[in-house]
Amino acid sequence: MISRIRYTIREMWASLSRNLTLTVAAIITSTISLLLFGLTLLIQQGFENQLKLWTGGVEMIVYVKHGATPDQITYLEGALLSQTSVIRSVEFCDEACSSEVARTLFAGDPGALEQLLPAIPSFFRVIPVDQDSSEVLRSLKASFKILPNVEEVRTPDDAVDVLSQLKDFFGVRLYVISFALLFASALLIWNTIRTAMFARRREIEVMKLVGATNWFIRLPFMLEGLLQGIAGGALGGAILLFVNNDWTQGVRGFPDTSGLEGFVVTGNYPIFVCFLMILVGAFVGAVGSATAASRFLDV
Amino acid sequence: MIRLENVHKIYSTEVTALRDATFEIAKGEFVFLVGPSGSGKSTLLRLMNRQERPERGAVMVAGRNINDMPDSKIPYLRRNLGNIFQDYKLLANKTVFENIAFALEVIGRPRHVIRQQVPAVLDLVGLGGKQERFPHQLSGGEQQRVSIARAFVNRPLILLADEPTGNLDPATGEGIMRLLDRINKTGTTVVMATHDQRIVNMMRKRVIQLDRGTIVRDQARGVYE
Repeated sequence: MISRIRYTIREMWASLSRNLTLTVAAIITSTISLLLFGLTLLIQQGFENQLKLWTGGVEMIVYVKHGATPDQITYLEGALLSQTSVIRSVEFCDEACSSEVARTLFAGDPGALEQLLPAIPSFFRVIPVDQDSSEVLRSLKASFKILPNVEEVRTPDDAVDVLSQLKDFFGVRLYVISFALLFASALLIWNTIRTAMFARRREIEVMKLVGATNWFIRLPFMLEGLLQGIAGGALGGAILLFVNNDWTQGVRGFPDTSGLEGFVVTGNYPIFVCFLMILVGAFVGAVGSATAASRFLDV
Repeated sequence: MIRLENVHKIYSTEVTALRDATFEIAKGEFVFLVGPSGSGKSTLLRLMNRQERPERGAVMVAGRNINDMPDSKIPYLRRNLGNIFQDYKLLANKTVFENIAFALEVIGRPRHVIRQQVPAVLDLVGLGGKQERFPHQLSGGEQQRVSIARAFVNRPLILLADEPTGNLDPATGEGIMRLLDRINKTGTTVVMATHDQRIVNMMRKRVIQLDRGTIVRDQARGVYE
């Protein structure tokens, strides 16, 4: 058994080094395809995190008609607070407070500010209990809109929808590209093994004639493909970790208003993705080489 | 040891390599297969080690019809057959020792057995002391001796030799024949395809003559005609 293991490893290594150019090409292709696969997973997770941040920090603004009396405002506040199952907190900003906010927001547009201030509405800042679903936000918006003296209700659900669409758009396309590249790297590994077997056809012929079993002949070639896949996965994983770290550091340096503060992936997830890339690489390498080693044994 | 019954082999609709070949080779026999190029000598050898399958008939080796043998059993059959070729089929990147050890290694022989058997067989073929040389550092006759050593190192029951002297000068060819004769005397059956008239006449062993796929003569202690 030990001599067989020694033989298999030795022959695998000999074959790898003999076809160095093809081996390197196969590893680079695997690396790129697996890197794209890993990046796709991280980008998806980044979108998830960003969505969570946006919906997690969501507040609904319920604008009160200008000139509403204190009784009407109290009634409205009571109506909002009574919905404890859907509303976590309510904070009122009167017309003076609202004017201050407007002066800050429209500091660069005095014309608009001048038009707005005479009829500025007061507003309630409402934090809903369920902040993750744009469906919930929409239904709350609809129910608040019909309350008396409500001018308008604004929620960020449209922005959330756009981000979800972006996530789906990029997710599907990136998955398609990364799977196409994975297929390409499996083909390249397949071709590398085929070439390696062709280069060693004389040895294989001798091996068969002296009574080596097909499995004994195949195994070094299969291990070679497996190793190429694993190397591609490991290399791609290392690059992925570097890129992710670089991006995370970069985002931390962005201004607070960039809106990208949630678009980072930290914790154990990137490590998990690296392991997944190695596993997928091993699978792709094993499938590519096993197919070639079975198909081209009769050299 | 080997029996062929009405063996028919066709390579294409126009090429019939063997027609109803029937003969038997006993254990320990030395048999020449003779005939011109394309007469079916190599095909017979390839049928005996199951590199080919006949369209019809039975090829029995050591009591088993190898045509019915599943592919997974063929490697174990071949461990009992040694093959020698005109072009030696040595691995250029391996030394003499490694070429022979390779044949034992791929059938899973442990290292200590390899270390013991390879020098012994090299002594037998007269190449003791040349085990670290590469094939290109050897003469044609020496390369054929390495090829014989590789075929015999596993002590097979049968040696199948396809024109082993075809690339050698007469004197070297004679040396190879003496070696094969010595191996035959250890009880190993030797089947050798050749069209080397001088060698067949010198050895005076059984001769099976083929002509366009048909056995036209089977003669004990025969000569080349």
